[in-house]
Amino acid sequence: MRAQPIHQISRKGLTVWRLYGVIQTLVLLIVAVLVSYGTYYFEWPLFIYYIAGAIVVLSAVLSVFIFPKIRWERWRYEVREHEIEVQHGLFVVKRTLIPMVRVQHVDTTQGPILKKHDLGNISISTAATVHTIPALVMDEADLLRARISELARVAEDDV
Amino acid sequence: MSKEINRLHPISAVITSVKALKSMILPIAIIIISNGFNFSLNFRSDHFFDTILLFGVWGVAALLALMGGIIKWRTFVYWFEDGELRIKYGLFVKKKRYIPFERIQSLNYNEGIFHRIFGLVKVQVETAGSKGGKPEVELTAIRKAAADVIELEMRRAKNEGVNPLHAEQEEVVEESVSTPAIYHMSMRDLLVLATTSGGIGVVLSGLAAIASQFSDIIPYETVFHELADFVKIGAFLVALTVMFILIVAWVVSVLITLINYYDYTVRIEEDKLILTKGLLEKKRITLPLNRIQAIRIVENPLRQLTGFATVVVESAGGNGEDGMDKKITLFPLIKKQDCMESLEHLFPEMNWYPSFTRSPKKARSFFYRIDFIWLVPIIGACSYFFYPYGLLSLLLIPLTILLGIWQHKTAGYQIDGKQLALQYRVFSRVTLIMEKKRIQSMGSTQSYFQKRKNVMSIKATVMSGASGTTGSVSSLEQHDAETILSWYEH
Repeated sequence: MRAQPIHQISRKGLTVWRLYGVIQTLVLLIVAVLVSYGTYYFEWPLFIYYIAGAIVVLSAVLSVFIFPKIRWERWRYEVREHEIEVQHGLFVVKRTLIPMVRVQHVDTTQGPILKKHDLGNISISTAATVHTIPALVMDEADLLRARISELARVAEDDV
Repeated sequence: MSKEINRLHPISAVITSVKALKSMILPIAIIIISNGFNFSLNFRSDHFFDTILLFGVWGVAALLALMGGIIKWRTFVYWFEDGELRIKYGLFVKKKRYIPFERIQSLNYNEGIFHRIFGLVKVQVETAGSKGGKPEVELTAIRKAAADVIELEMRRAKNEGVNPLHAEQEEVVEESVSTPAIYHMSMRDLLVLATTSGGIGVVLSGLAAIASQFSDIIPYETVFHELADFVKIGAFLVALTVMFILIVAWVVSVLITLINYYDYTVRIEEDKLILTKGLLEKKRITLPLNRIQAIRIVENPLRQLTGFATVVVESAGGNGEDGMDKKITLFPLIKKQDCMESLEHLFPEMNWYPSFTRSPKKARSFFYRIDFIWLVPIIGACSYFFYPYGLLSLLLIPLTILLGIWQHKTAGYQIDGKQLALQYRVFSRVTLIMEKKRIQSMGSTQSYFQKRKNVMSIKATVMSGASGTTGSVSSLEQHDAETILSWYEH
């Protein structure tokens, strides 16, 4: 049994994911209201109300409370001397290994919501794939980026 | 170093314009047809302005295409200087591009029908950075001798870089290069390839596309009425017609494959693979061996039964036939036994006879259980709405299970030193063989149910073209999957 990667992402990340869930639910709510109005106006069948309501409630429960929690607890990463290991997933646990020699470049990105919470995403690119570690505390993300680029600057194998 | 300026052959003007015109034919045809041939040069007619506008616009476009071809030919020059291939083109905006010879990955030759009449060749120069399947430089048409000069210059530049003292000696050796083919497709193999290829699907969809284009002209309603009578005459006739269409489509696809793959030969020259093929349009593709990332052996069920396989190489950087895909077919069709021998000859350091560790028996149900999620609603809907014939959809269940068992039997891996071999199937059996240093990243996935049974899926990504290719094996023993990950770590 392989040990899990050691680092978890910041607790604030969970807050941000919940916020994303709230936004998604609000968008769905607006759509649901529009559809309900249409149903009222054009006298479409009644069950449309129930479906619209159910979708909004489900979205609220799942994307605000349940999914972010599971995702946050599952998300783990570890930067070792020779490789980066990442674990994530909702129902399916996905683990990925990226050797340092394969890393081509590292980016950090930050949207408005992440910026408010002083968080950032860090993307690690190889020649073929991109792997993102989300919602790290910005200082930590910068440190990590510096560290990865330092470790990755080892003599390179050919691609 | 020669500094003389080289130009393209005048025919390249014709080729460029014809190519531009060709891409206009379909839109014109569609517009003419959708207008219902309501054209008139009569000034009083309603359609007069439409007609003038249409033909005016297309006439101007055609003229521009012609001029574009001529301008490109007049302004395009290339020469060799300081170990670089330099090109310059453009009328108002002058563009220059310098490519150091060491950076050139491959020179691909392409002879269309125009080229062959005049003994010319189209040369595509590719580097690792060629993006989106577009070659870095394309010389539309030059004489074959001129193409040889490029290759000679390239060799000379490379040799000077490596060893300036012995450059001349080596060149003497290289003059006599004409290595024997390591693979030549026999007429029999070619026929088998043509008859078993999936090209028939392409032709059929082509027919469908044409049919839909002409939907305005063909009076479908009348046809359908007649079709109804037709059905009354007998299902036999319908079946016969369908068979006839299928056979015609198949024959066309066979012919296309025959023409495309005629005289398919693979040569190895220094450290490059050279593929040549084609009857009407001759193609020559070079592929540096050190750019090869992984080898994929694909056997579709029919070919697996008859012991044939297709071998595809995944290569880094821009390349590929027609600039479309980055996967280069190395052997379109080869007997499995010969295939392994040839591959061993090509890459002696790799193990071509892997013995696979298979997915454990307890994992079998994972290969079909997930399919029930979409299968059950479909079967339910079919049975409900198309009762009683919809019940036939129940047959999907045993078929899915059988396919799942087959997939389970195929799933396996082998680690041998620095090499990883994965085997899996969707329908066709795929064997992906790659070196550790070529793998860009590896991952494992495990669902809740897989965790309970201690099985784990594994995937490996290698670079191929601009993005990657991923090979994945489902539901290996967890211990095995972790062995692969640990092997990759160190």
